[in-house]
Amino acid sequence: MMLARVADSLYWIGRYVERAEHMCRLADVLLNATLDRTESSGQVARMVISAVSDGEHPEDVSPWDAAMAITMESGDSDSVTAALARARENARQVRDQLTTETWERLNLIYLRVTGPRANREFSDAPSQFLHDIIADLHLFKGAADATMSHGEGWGFLQLGVFIERAQLTGRLLQAGFGRSLGRPVTEHAAMTALLRMSCALEPYLRKHTADIQPRLIRQFLMFDEDFPRSLRFATARIEEHLSGVGRNVDLGGAAGPERLAGRLKARLLYAEAETLTGEDSDLLVATVLEECARLHAGIYDTFVAYSLEMRLPA
Amino acid sequence: MRYALAETTPIAGATAPGPAPYDEMIDPDGDVRPHYAALARRVASLSDEDLAERQRLLERFFLLQGITFTVYGAESSTERIIPTDLLPRIIPAGEWATIEAGLVQRLRALNMFLADIYSDQKILMDGVVPRELVLGAPSYRREMQNLFVPHQAYANVCGSDLIRKPDGGFAVLEDNLRVPSGVSYMLANREAAKRTFPGSFRMAGVRRIEQYPDLLLSTLRSMAADWRPNPQVVVLTPGVYNSAYFEHAYLARLMGVPLVEGRDLVTHDNMVYMRTTTGLRRVDVIYRRVDDDFIDPLTFRRDSSLGVAGLFNAYRGGNVVICNAPGTGVADDKAVYAYVPEIISYYLGEDAILPNIETFLCREPSQLSHVLANLDKLVVKAVGASGGYGMLVGPHASRAERESFAEALRADPENYIAQPTIQLSTAPCLIDGAIDPRHVDLRPFILSGDKIRVTPGALTRVALKKGSLVVNSSQGGGSKDTWVLGETEAGEAGA
Repeated sequence: MMLARVADSLYWIGRYVERAEHMCRLADVLLNATLDRTESSGQVARMVISAVSDGEHPEDVSPWDAAMAITMESGDSDSVTAALARARENARQVRDQLTTETWERLNLIYLRVTGPRANREFSDAPSQFLHDIIADLHLFKGAADATMSHGEGWGFLQLGVFIERAQLTGRLLQAGFGRSLGRPVTEHAAMTALLRMSCALEPYLRKHTADIQPRLIRQFLMFDEDFPRSLRFATARIEEHLSGVGRNVDLGGAAGPERLAGRLKARLLYAEAETLTGEDSDLLVATVLEECARLHAGIYDTFVAYSLEMRLPA
Repeated sequence: MRYALAETTPIAGATAPGPAPYDEMIDPDGDVRPHYAALARRVASLSDEDLAERQRLLERFFLLQGITFTVYGAESSTERIIPTDLLPRIIPAGEWATIEAGLVQRLRALNMFLADIYSDQKILMDGVVPRELVLGAPSYRREMQNLFVPHQAYANVCGSDLIRKPDGGFAVLEDNLRVPSGVSYMLANREAAKRTFPGSFRMAGVRRIEQYPDLLLSTLRSMAADWRPNPQVVVLTPGVYNSAYFEHAYLARLMGVPLVEGRDLVTHDNMVYMRTTTGLRRVDVIYRRVDDDFIDPLTFRRDSSLGVAGLFNAYRGGNVVICNAPGTGVADDKAVYAYVPEIISYYLGEDAILPNIETFLCREPSQLSHVLANLDKLVVKAVGASGGYGMLVGPHASRAERESFAEALRADPENYIAQPTIQLSTAPCLIDGAIDPRHVDLRPFILSGDKIRVTPGALTRVALKKGSLVVNSSQGGGSKDTWVLGETEAGEAGA
């Protein structure tokens, strides 16, 4: 049993924390990959900008300005500091539900990125700054895993994490290989950069050796069973946590979001991964993104903003 | 190491220098009082850097815990911690026994007073307290008339403000029976003090206060109806932007009960429910940290969005208990305060163990003229205000301030009371790296449900500005940990 508002906040903490971590990696890889003026550096810049913006891409932004905007711009919900501020604001609202260990980690990160020295630290050594935030976020996740009860609250936190993750990986795949956006990445360095952005380079190399090709990358980021950022892995966790939190909800016979989550999981589990054409992959990624958005709305309608008439005590 | 005492005339412009304030640590001869001896030795053995380091440790603890309030600036907002002083204030066992007995007596009488006011009003019939003073007070809630309150416990949580007078005796400055706050600082200060002075703490034999959340929970549970076997308790907060939000979350977490906002609750058929992920769930006891005015827009203020529509009817129906009961404010009204000694002897037939501060009611013409004539010596307070707002500290005010206040007094005398300027006692504090005395008060917390319990500890509030007598956190006050010593004076035995 937990308050509907609290479940909603925990879900959003999960989403914002995941988003902040992803944005840090994008900014870091962007700065690193654009140190030289080659074709691949242009590809990386285009890929990052199209992964973080909705539709319109200003073409003439310098990589430094783009990384700065991704990291520090406040007010924009897609910057690292804004995401962390919102995660922490949500955490404050459900402070009684988080363990002190978990809260302290998040509070520390927040104090650092919003502190008076943050801008200078970023300008002096952006890579170090971003690396520290990612490491701190891992500490947060570790503290949550090790100290929070893995019950309903945990389920909502994880749902937020994995829905956000599936969407981020999906958008990165679209930015890297999507035909609709034109100009898919082809350069070797740009493809490694893409793997780095999803923290997948080392696991990929172990599986496919240094044979880096678009088809294998796509297969890995979509269908790998064990890699924690693949679409298959993320959707399986969504299904798992949703069936956990939905166990005690009586919808009076109507279908809840679990059905959608199960179908989404099956789409990736039973896809013909080896023979899928580029076009079909695009379609599948688009479907995953669309169904994640529907899951997001479905969770809100089922657990948070349900109509009271349906649930009045008999 | 010798300690400076506060100068005897800290108040510029005071016509007559009053008696020197009582110092908690140093006796008038300049020697350390016995119950402070161990701590004084420990502090003396520390260098300035050690002290500064401990102060940093303390502040970091508060920052990490998120015990902060937000200062909103023009461009951005920053978070600050509540100023917290490193050096604990120590109260020996004998003094505490008097305080405890006095607080229990006072709260018993005030609860009986409330039960009487909201039923037969015998005390008004007998003319002990003026009828218009009670029934005319804005905090009197006629909606509470003849409403059953379990154990007659109207004020379940009470935080009284005590001060120590120059003669060393404690007196009650104010009773807070509405939604007193500060208990989380008492607990957080203790957690921090255990880290900063572990050795002295162990040696001193300090009494435990960590049981407060458990006692609060059992007090709240005792208010639920007997036929509800496992009552659901919740803490109702105005929300995350309230300055005491940290405390609401802290108490909810330590009691293990949900922290709800008004929007989480709904009423249906005169029952109160909370919206959970799996549907509605019945609520039995609401420890509300929302003022009377805002708890139910259908009964009290209609523009409130913090409360729950229909809550008061559910309460009247006996389906939910609101703690503290609405309308308790009438008993901590600053004008009713003057009658508390009479209230105690009326109901209990006892003399007040803890005295009041002499109080002039400006509603009485003779007292008003006395107040106006002595404005430079008195503290004048608006009856309805709290938190250090709407008050004039005569000796510290400029002539112009006094004149404009006198104007307000003449215009609306019923709204004001006056008290002599009391030299609050002083306690050593770490100010800018040096140890210097500052004025302090004492806010212990008393719980009342099936029985009355006093936690052996308190929030000591500190006026951080030199010479200032205003300890409210909204007016530049800070706080420090308060050590109540056990029966055996272990502090001396261990030395």
